[in-house]
Amino acid sequence: MIVYDKKMLDNEVLTDEAGVLYEGGFVSKEQKKFIEKELYVLKSQNNILVRIGFFLLGCLLFLSICGAISIVGLQAEDAYLQICCYLFAVVGFIGAELLATKNYHNHGLDDAFILGALLNLGIAIAITTQGYEAVIAFFIALGALFMFLRYLHLPSMLVFCLAATAFLFFGMFQFGGIGKAILPFTAMFFAGIFYFLTKRRINDLKEKYYYNGLLLANSFCLVLFYLSCNYLVVRELSSELLGTEVKPGTDIPFAFFFYVFTFVVPVVYLVQALKTKDRIMLWISFLAIGFSIYTIRFYYSVLPIEVALTLGGIVLFAIAYFSIKKLKEKESGLTFKPDRINHTDNFLNAEALVVASTFGMKPEVKTVSPMEFGGGGFSGGGSSESF
Amino acid sequence: MTKFDEQAAQKLFDKNLITENQFTEIKAYRALHIFSLNTELKLFLYLSVLLFTSGIGILIYENIDTIGHIAILSLLLIVIAVCFYYCFKNSRGFQKSETSFEHPVLEYLVLAGNILTCIFIGYLQFQYKPFGEHYGLATLVPTIVSFFCAYYFDNKSVLTIGVTGLAAYVGLSVAPQDLLNNNDFYASQNLSYSAFMLGVLLILWTIYSNRISLKTHFNLIFLTFALHIISIAAISNLTNYDTLTWIIFTAIMASSIYYFYKASYDNKSMSLYVFMIVYGYIGANIFLFRIFQNVDFSAIWELFFILLPAYFISSIVLFIKLIKKFNKEITQ
Repeated sequence: MIVYDKKMLDNEVLTDEAGVLYEGGFVSKEQKKFIEKELYVLKSQNNILVRIGFFLLGCLLFLSICGAISIVGLQAEDAYLQICCYLFAVVGFIGAELLATKNYHNHGLDDAFILGALLNLGIAIAITTQGYEAVIAFFIALGALFMFLRYLHLPSMLVFCLAATAFLFFGMFQFGGIGKAILPFTAMFFAGIFYFLTKRRINDLKEKYYYNGLLLANSFCLVLFYLSCNYLVVRELSSELLGTEVKPGTDIPFAFFFYVFTFVVPVVYLVQALKTKDRIMLWISFLAIGFSIYTIRFYYSVLPIEVALTLGGIVLFAIAYFSIKKLKEKESGLTFKPDRINHTDNFLNAEALVVASTFGMKPEVKTVSPMEFGGGGFSGGGSSESF
Repeated sequence: MTKFDEQAAQKLFDKNLITENQFTEIKAYRALHIFSLNTELKLFLYLSVLLFTSGIGILIYENIDTIGHIAILSLLLIVIAVCFYYCFKNSRGFQKSETSFEHPVLEYLVLAGNILTCIFIGYLQFQYKPFGEHYGLATLVPTIVSFFCAYYFDNKSVLTIGVTGLAAYVGLSVAPQDLLNNNDFYASQNLSYSAFMLGVLLILWTIYSNRISLKTHFNLIFLTFALHIISIAAISNLTNYDTLTWIIFTAIMASSIYYFYKASYDNKSMSLYVFMIVYGYIGANIFLFRIFQNVDFSAIWELFFILLPAYFISSIVLFIKLIKKFNKEITQ
């Protein structure tokens, strides 16, 4: 199914490993360069900016091909408008295939053609079926899965996950009120099942080719699982879809379950992530905890914002302080020492920028307010809640 | 994940691309199963400082009349004193090179102490006006404190507060979100010139600190601020009606772009380079537009329809080429 030369994909894994080992200080720069020279690899762009540049160029190329077709096709008027998007999608598929045989992978140009094909496929189906959502989602999911399996294209995997979820949702809508009412449970159920399925597939994998895509799907399931029964999501969606209004003193059905779910799941994620040393799950659990706190504050103002911020700061400080104290001396396993191999300090580099935007001083105006120095206080508070 | 990593290392070894020593070292390190929470816990500390200081800021703002002023001020002073006590006690003293605390928590205590000091002085000025009508002084004092802390404790976050304070003293707001909606520069011509002067001052300071090798790792922050201040001031003046003004600022723009082109190579900084290109591109386009404004194109306006896509494509290609060249040079 994979279009690329297996040998080259293997080489890609090896050069990536060499890069990682160089970052970790295990191999020298010359050695890394030698390895890269020795192994021939696919044409890919590691620099995101260059990739975006090539993506834009690819889009222009795609558009001009479509435009050239349209100049001829528009003679046929209405009939052409019916089928034009299919033609464009075919152009996308052919372009993707051609680029892949020329060994372009994660390059930017191929991204443009693959994503363009999926977009046009969706529009084409929408025109044919007059906007029948479930069918559109189904075909996009199918197309995206094909793109992922054949071209190992990660963004396609994300498109597939989203489209599959959309298919599930729109499919449930077909069942009317009942379908809408049990939607949270269905979504939770499917997310759970697919989580374990993808997990199993990852463990059974012999080669690394599909690893990243499966990991993405796996993480997507975790997020979907949490969101499917989060109290805020359920309540807002049910008022949106079913038109139920929650009167004061009453609550949505199974409210207790959703409350418990909102708070238990992030904690389970956190414990599980620390146990299995799974960094992605750890970050999802942080975000989930933040979102759970936001959920509660959305409906109940437990504490005034300033007290909540101050206390939250103190509690967070205590947690971090004691964890550091406990982990500081450990040499293996869970530790505070920076990892030589996977260290991610990009966040910390952004620190200074955030400080400047929240606490930067503003020029004096004649009506001096005490907020001038902590001026960003409100915005800082707002953004921090999402953590 | 570990399964594939080990496989890859094994394959590299099989192909004789890494030596046996290296391979055993890698295997031994991977066997430790290190799962580092370094970034996460530091982020927590950082968030806690932001939350706490924001909370205190709002608390004071909302309750300014209900709690006694003396009570607030003394409470703040106690917290500040505690923060700085620990920092001074555990610091290694002033060092010219990059340094850090034994314990990472202290780095964030410096930040907390510094922000609280700013709040303290602001509050003091609001309530008791110790600086009288010299509002500039009320900005300058926290700025000096920030610079002192930044250099003494080697803290980049505090340094940015110091730089924004310095800019505020000149009359500019250089917090990132304000830079994006640059309203200030339209207000007066003088502000643009002072912004330019501030930018030059920051650049000169980096050159000077390079010469005496004083905290050279701070240079990137100074240069980043300088690039944004100068470029935005210049760009907003490129549209000025006065011919002389915009020609002056074109010259400023061109020379600053040239300087930062060199500087980004010297500092190996991608962010500086990319922003330099973006500002340069905007500036060049405005410049072209100003030039063509005075030319009568009614006869050949169709030409634009052909040239525009070509212009667009060639700019993207140029962008890609520049970035690739930069990447190649800094990795060498």
